[in-house]
Formats: sequence, structure tokens, C-alpha cells
Amino acid sequence: MGHSDGEHELEDDGLSADDSSWSDGGWSEDDDEESLSFEGSGSGSDSDEAAAAEESDSSEDEVAPRNTVGDVPLEWYKDEEHIGYDIDGRKIKKRDREGRIEAYLKNADDAKNWRKIYDEYNDEEVQITKEEAKIISRLLKGKTPHANVDPYPDYVDWFEYEDKGHPLSSAPEPKRRFVPSKWEQKKVVKLVRAIRNGWIKLDKPKEESNLYLLWGDETDTADNKRQGLSYIPAPKPNLPGHEESYNPSVEYIPTQEEIDSYQLMYEEDRPKFIPKRFESLRSVPAYEKALREGFDRCLDLYLCPRTRKKRINIDPESLKPKLPSKKDLRPYPKTCYLEFKGHTSPVTSISVETTGQWLASGSRDGTIRVWEVETGRCLKVWNVGGDVRHIAWNPSPDRPILAAIVGHDLLLINAEVGCEEVQMRAKELLKICEMAPQDDTDGKKPAVRWMKHEKFDGITLLHHKAVSNVDWHFKGDYFTTVVPSGDTRAVLLHQLTKKHSHHPFRKLPGLPVAATFHPSQKMFFVATKKFVRVYDLQKAQLVKKLESGLREISSISIHPGGDNVIVGSKDGKLCWFDTDLSTRPYKTLKIHSKDITNVTFHRKYPLFASSSEDCTAYVCHGMVYSDLNQNPLIVPLEILRGHSSSDGRGVLDCKFHPKQPWLFTAGADSVIRLYCD
Amino acid sequence: MDADPSRQVRVRFVTKLPPPLRAPPAAIAVPADLSRMGLSEIVNSLLAAAEPDHKARPFDFLVDGELVRLPLQQFLLAKGISAERVLELEYVKAVAPRKQEEPCPHDDWVSAVDGSNPSFILTGCYDGLARLWKDGAVCTQILEGHSDAITSTRFINKGVETEGNLHVVTGSKDRSLRLYKCDASVSMDYPKRVGAYKILRGHTSSVQSIAVDPSSDMLCSGSWDSTIKLWAIEGSEEDGDAVSLKKRRMNSDSSGPEESQLEGLATSTFLGHTQCVTAVTWPEQQTIYSASWDHSVRQWDVQTVKETWNMFCGKALNCLDCGGEGSSLIAAGGSDPILRVWDPRKPGTLAPVFQFSSHSSWITACKWHPSSWFHLVSSSFDGKVMLWDLRTAWPLASVDSHKDKVLCADWWKGNSVISGGADSKLCIAYGIEIV
Repeated sequence: MGHSDGEHELEDDGLSADDSSWSDGGWSEDDDEESLSFEGSGSGSDSDEAAAAEESDSSEDEVAPRNTVGDVPLEWYKDEEHIGYDIDGRKIKKRDREGRIEAYLKNADDAKNWRKIYDEYNDEEVQITKEEAKIISRLLKGKTPHANVDPYPDYVDWFEYEDKGHPLSSAPEPKRRFVPSKWEQKKVVKLVRAIRNGWIKLDKPKEESNLYLLWGDETDTADNKRQGLSYIPAPKPNLPGHEESYNPSVEYIPTQEEIDSYQLMYEEDRPKFIPKRFESLRSVPAYEKALREGFDRCLDLYLCPRTRKKRINIDPESLKPKLPSKKDLRPYPKTCYLEFKGHTSPVTSISVETTGQWLASGSRDGTIRVWEVETGRCLKVWNVGGDVRHIAWNPSPDRPILAAIVGHDLLLINAEVGCEEVQMRAKELLKICEMAPQDDTDGKKPAVRWMKHEKFDGITLLHHKAVSNVDWHFKGDYFTTVVPSGDTRAVLLHQLTKKHSHHPFRKLPGLPVAATFHPSQKMFFVATKKFVRVYDLQKAQLVKKLESGLREISSISIHPGGDNVIVGSKDGKLCWFDTDLSTRPYKTLKIHSKDITNVTFHRKYPLFASSSEDCTAYVCHGMVYSDLNQNPLIVPLEILRGHSSSDGRGVLDCKFHPKQPWLFTAGADSVIRLYCD
Repeated sequence: MDADPSRQVRVRFVTKLPPPLRAPPAAIAVPADLSRMGLSEIVNSLLAAAEPDHKARPFDFLVDGELVRLPLQQFLLAKGISAERVLELEYVKAVAPRKQEEPCPHDDWVSAVDGSNPSFILTGCYDGLARLWKDGAVCTQILEGHSDAITSTRFINKGVETEGNLHVVTGSKDRSLRLYKCDASVSMDYPKRVGAYKILRGHTSSVQSIAVDPSSDMLCSGSWDSTIKLWAIEGSEEDGDAVSLKKRRMNSDSSGPEESQLEGLATSTFLGHTQCVTAVTWPEQQTIYSASWDHSVRQWDVQTVKETWNMFCGKALNCLDCGGEGSSLIAAGGSDPILRVWDPRKPGTLAPVFQFSSHSSWITACKWHPSSWFHLVSSSFDGKVMLWDLRTAWPLASVDSHKDKVLCADWWKGNSVISGGADSKLCIAYGIEIV
């Protein structure tokens, strides 16, 4: 309170200086009146009111008070010697308070003493100027502080609306708008009375329905959700129909024949309920199966599996690998149109001439036959007298020479096809002068002896042990024979032009099964029972060893590109090796139920085939891409049937036609079949 | 449109046959479920009504250029022809062999026949001999000389006798072609042996097929060495002599017994096929068609020795013939049981215009009828010879007289089909009435 007083006081100086001209006149007029009224009150509260009015206008211009303690309660300094601090931080000492008498005396002495006010905050006495006193007195009377303010000026109507037809008027708001309405009050009173008397009821309680869906699905009720186990709803029984009635219509009653036919059905298929007619409800007997069904129900509850099986919903079709359709992979052999008949015993081996015009076959009946492919006519028969185990046509077209394993030796004969010059050359090649016996340093029996075969104008290569396999080099000069029991001399290389043989492998682990040349490079493949070894003939070293993982390899074929090898086994499996990729099989096809007898690649088309003792031959698409990043594509295409089993043996050999997508198969039923596209 | 027996179709029978076989042109109502046989009976009864001594015979019926092979109702339904209006049924004599002649026995497989001469049939055999059969019954001449199986035989001049002689050419697996002149007027009890007067050498592998040009001056032959060679038939005698002399001098020891024979060399060689050329045909003076196991049919221009057109069909082909309308359709069969007919005039498509697939094995021969545009004969390894009409997909007739593979077939005299097979028989089916 003292604070506001001080403010007022300081302000006063400035104000009086400015407005002295107008205030002087006013003040002088009713000086006495003012003074009188002021005297009566005499307390600080009045001046406080006046200060508040001034304060709103000029708070920014005010001079800082002498005391700097701020807006704190002054009682804090009540017991101190000082009242606060000035702007320099020095204590402002309290003045000694005048006594009451002194104050009275002063009042009496000084005429202007009534204008003096004590400022508690700054601890000083302030004298109010005349103007200030005048304002205070006006305020006390409830008038405007300044005398020259007219609170009720004449109303000036700026707008002319008399004859403008304007609905609005700028007339001031009427009084009634600010006065509470009597009518409304009456209405409120009426409502209040009605509520008190209970005539009007508020917040009627909502009625809860006690209906529920009797036949509704129980799965989604809150009860079932609350349970920890996943709830398995019981299967719903069918609603009873007419036939369950105690007196159903006649059409529901089965005839005796129908009842008899139920006995022929399986227990599960029999109808559970047979409708019967009763005269009245009284005559309906007790349900005979009640006990049984109750027991079953208990069993169901007891034995019901309480876990839900999670099944992943996968379309089985999507699990199949994406293979191109067979239609896009044509041509491939599928139908047998031609049969070559003539042999009387199982045909063990066939070979197609390079041009594809002739086919040679060897059989158990001791004959070698040459057939014309286009008509199936047997052109020539050589009765060699022994089991023909394997036959191979010289791959060079101008050397129509057949290499056949007869008995346990190798026979080279002139196939007698082709023009005269070729015939002459073949005859020249097969001429042999009696050579000096090969000098064998070991003193052992030589591995091979070249002998003239008188009967057929051919050459016999007498081996020290039984020969099982023969294969030509693609140029038609070298050929190899495999002697499975030959130990160190198991694989032999022969040269036709020089009539020379040698055994390149000093030591060969395992029992060799087949040996074959690379189709274009100087490489050599030897298949033993479990492995395929790849040798470089020029450097005479092992290049690769392919692990088949099969029980026993029976045959081998090299892709014309040379980098892919297929191997057939005696347990019916076919392994495809990509030698660039790995030494393990790229794919193993379990396609036959019995031994695979031969596997072969087509030289031009991306096809390979396998023949088996189970009387079938498989034709598969085997595409090898020149792009090294792309794996070979293998698609099984066709199962060729038609051969009949004889003596437990099925198809003994299969060979592709060199130029057409045709497959020859030799069967134990002594027939050779040609399957065409 | 169910099989309602009371349904009737109004038809009018028309024909191009001569008057005694012409039925009255009035429209009559016939039951809709009649098949070819029922219609044939109606026509026969109509003809018998007009002429009492008419002999009943089978007819075939054409609707809009298509042979009726189903009951009439089904046929109309299948073709979408309205049964409301009067249907014009053109009838022709049914094409089927009436009788089979006793087959002519050979010593070995019969690999080639030619029936272009009306009085003689020429056959080639696997024993290396060609035979001439007078009227298809008696073997009058045996043409010898080949050392291996004969694969193809042809009459030169379409078998027209020149100076009483028949000119014949044969091709063989011994890589040579031989030309023979035979006396057409021999009448002896035993067959006369004839030697070749000229040998054409040059192929390095067996000769598969021969064609003679329409003016009978040139020959062409397709071979296993995948070439087609062109030979002059007469040539200049001096040339032939010189060559033969040279040849004789070169290998005098090997070709000793053939001293009296002329030898000829090919005038030009068509290169392009990559595999065995199995069939050649020479329908026009300037063009040769050839079929090969490399799945292609090629057209060659004789003058420029250039390939002018080719077509790949995806199957190894065994036989080829040109015929049909304007001799422009190509029929070929191969290593599957379907006989296909192409139209080379159709641009931009290699799809065959007709396919006949009633055989069950390789097709070995196909021939167009010499005068009809529609009729074809084909033979197959399944032992059947079939007659085809372009106007229906079913075979007109199937001849089952062979017991083994049929290797060759041809028309003879326009009304017979001759065929030779692996059962060493020449079979003749007579009485095929093609107007």
C-alpha cells in the first residue's frame, strides 16, 4: 500500500509542472470544500484509490523509488534500523518517529499539514499538491477525476436513416436487454417446482434385455475367448428332420430291401438312424443306443486332441520346379515306328554309323549284323561264333570298320559299306603283316597280340584277359579297350594305323568299368566302380576325379561339348556331372528300377537317354549353355516302352541316331527298335 | 438337332457323269440320318427306275466340294449348312479298288515301282535287278547290272515306246544309275535278261531317288551323299565314249566286264541339302523339287543350279510328289505317320494345307493321280496302301494286301494302284474309277 503511495507522490511533481494552467483555476474555486471533505477521512486508503487511477496511465515514466527492496512485506524491516537500501546499496536509516503529541502540534502549527502524508515505504513525509487534493476530492464524490471531462456529451447521430427504409437502427441497446426477464424466471420456477414434486423424471434407467441367441454360433462369444486354450467348437448336429419324427410319413420308411442293402455297406457308410413308425408317442421305446453314445461322447471328450494343428496352406503345384513344357523341347524320340528283327538271342550292343545310314548290332547268338536304318533291312551277317559283347563303329566316315568284342578278344572287321575307294582303304588298314613278337621286358605274356583273322579279312586283338569295352577316338585311329581284371594292364590304347598297343596306366586304383575319349580334346575318361577319372593324354597326368557316390557305375557318356558327363549305375541311378562346376554330381536322377545298361548323349540335339534292365529307356532333355553362369537344364521327357523282358533282362543298349532325333534300343527280346520324333 | 428318325432333308442329286448315270434333277426328301450308303441306294434306285437294266454301284457324295463321310445330318451340322433349303448333292463314282490281282512274286524286297507306262510295270528289287511286267502279270525282261539293291526306277519318255524300245533308268545303292533300252515287243515264255547301255557314276553314296524331266532329255538323282545330280540322258555319244574310255583306262581291272557300256558324268550338282536326299521330282521343265532327311523341301532352278525356295517341316522326309491343282501342291511323307500337303503359293506360312493321318508308321511313298487333282496314293511301313481325296480327311480306301512293310506305290493306267513291299510282292489293285 505504501508503495503505491510513493509512486503517486513522485509522479505528482511532473504532473503539476505540466498542467498548472488549468488546475490552478479549478482548485482555487472550491478550495475549502475540498479541504473539508478530505479532513474527514484522513487515512491512506483514499489516497490509495487515487494512486491506482493514476497508475494505469503513467507506470512507464515513473521515477525509481528511493528504496530498492522491491515488493516485499515491509514488516520484514519492522525490527531493523533501516527500511531498505538506496540505489548505491547503502542502508536507508529509519527516521525517528514523531510522537502523537508532536504530530498534533504540527497539525495545529502548520495549516498545510492536512496535505501531508507519510510514505512508509520510503520513510518520508510527502505533501500533496492542490491539484492532487482536488482530484482526490472529486473521486471521493464519485465524479470524474478531471473537472473538464464531460461524462454525458450530446449524442450525435451520424447516420440518417429516417427515410432510408433501413431496418436497423443505430439506436443504443435498450435497457430491457440487460435486465433479467421476469417471464423466464416464472418459467424456471415452474420447472423447478415440477421437478421437486416429481412431475418431471430425469435419467430414466436403461432396461437390459435378457434375451440371447439360442442357436447362435458359440465360437465368438466372450466366454470362449476368455479361455486360455484355443477353443475347438463341437461339430454341429443336423437339425432333426421329418424322418426323426416318431410317426414319419411313409416315404421316409425304408423298404425291407433297402434295410437289407444296408448290411452290405461298410460299417461307416451305413445310415446311423433308420426311421420307424409308432402309433403314438407312448409306444416309443427308450433310446437303445443312449448308453453307447454317452460312452462314445465321453471317449471323445477324453481322447480329443487338445492342440490345434497348424497347417501351412501351400499349393503343392508351386513346390514343383519350373520346367519348360515338353512341347517346347521337341523334337525328341517318342514313338517306335521301326523294328529290326533277325537276331535270335538278346542283342547286347548296337552302334550307328557316323552318317546314320547303317546300324551294326552284336548279339548273344554269335552274329554281327549290319542294318539299313531307313528300311530296317538286314544287309550283312557275320557269324563270328562267340558272344558279341560290345560293338563300335569307327567314327571316321571313310573307315567303315567295326570293332567288336567277341568272346574275350577284340575283332576288327570291314563293314563293307561305302564306295570302292573307301573299301580299298579299309582293306589296306586291316592288312597285317606278321610282326615280330612284341618285346616284352617283363617276360610276361604280352597284353595284346595283333593277329590276322582269316575268315573275315579282319584283325583279332588277342588280349591276356577278357575284354569288356571298346571305344574309338573321334578321329578313328586310336581306340581303347578295357580289361576289367587286367590289373596294371586294365586299360589299353591301340593305334589302328600302326597296329600298336600300349597300356598307359602303370597303376589304376579300382576296377575299371569303361573308358572313353573326350569328343574333341586329348582327354581320356576312365570309369571305375565308384569314380570317374579324367586324364590328360598329352601330359599323362590325372586332371580330375569325379565322385559319383553310386554303388557301381555301369556306363559313361561324354557330352559333345566335353564338359559334362553322365554316368549310369547298377542301382538305376543316373548322375550328371558338370566338370566345370564340381567333382560331385550336379544332378542324380533316380529313374530306373533296375540296372542301367547304357547312357548316351545325342551329338546334335540336347538329348540324352538311358536304357535299363527294367525294359524301359528314358529320354531326357539335357541342355548345356555356353554361358558359364547358367547350369545345365535337365528335363525328363519320355519313357520309351515296348521291349519285353527276357531272362530278367530288359533293354541292353541304346544309341542315338547321329543326325536325327531318333533313338535305337537293343533289347534282350532280340529286337532292335527305332524310336522317332 | 438330335437323331430324330423322322427328320428329313430335301436334296437334289446332280452329277457330271455321262447320261445313263444321270438321275432326275427333281428335289426329293430323304431321311436326315442317311449315310453315304443310304444315299447311294437312293441314287441307284432312281437310276434303276429310269433304266431297268441299271447295275447298282456305289457312289460318293459331295456337298460344297467336300465328301460326305458322316450321316447327312451330322455332316450338315458339322459344316454349319442349313438343312432347311434344298441341298445339292453331287454324286461321283466311289473310288475304291474293285479287285486284287494275284501278286507278282520277286526274289527280294520290291523297293521301286513305276506305272507310267500303260502296258508295262517297272519294278526295282533289292536283289539288284529291275523287272518289266507286261500287263502286270508276266515278267518279260530282267534288267541286270547293279551290284546292290535298286532304290528307284523310272521310265523315260513316260514309257512311250520309241522305235519299239522302252527307255528305263534305275538307281541303286551301288552309287550308280543305269540306263536300259528294252524291246517292248518280245513275246517269250521266259524273261529276257537285258544289260545297261549306259552307266552314270558320280554319287559317292547310294542313289535314293530319280526323276526324269518332262521333255525326257535329262535326269536328276538324289543321293545319300546329300547332293542332287543332273545327268544328260542321251548326251553326245562322243562325250560319253571319251569318258568311258578314260574311266576304263583308269581302273581297267575293276570295271572289266562292263566294256560294252557307255559311262556318263553328271552335268551339274545341286548342293544345299545337309543330309540324305530321299526324293526328287521334276514337275516342270525348269524346276526340281527335292525332299531330304534334313527336314527340308527345296525347289531348285535347273538353269541356274540354284535353290529358289525351301521349307522346313521338322520331320525327316521320305517321299515327295507334286500335283493337285495346276501341279502346284506338294505332298510329302516321312518319319511319322502323317501325309502332309503344302501349298508353296501360300505366302508366309509353313503350315500344311492338308494332313492325312490314318497310317500308323513311316510313310514311304506318295503319288498324285496322273489326271485327278484330288487323288493321292500313299504307302507306309504299317503294310497299308491308302487312297486319299483332298476333299475329305478320311482315306477313301485302304489296301491291305501286303504282309510286311510297303516300300513303294504308284498309280497305273489311271485306275489301278501298284505297290511293292518287304514281302517281295508286287500287288496290283484294279478298278479304281476316277473320272
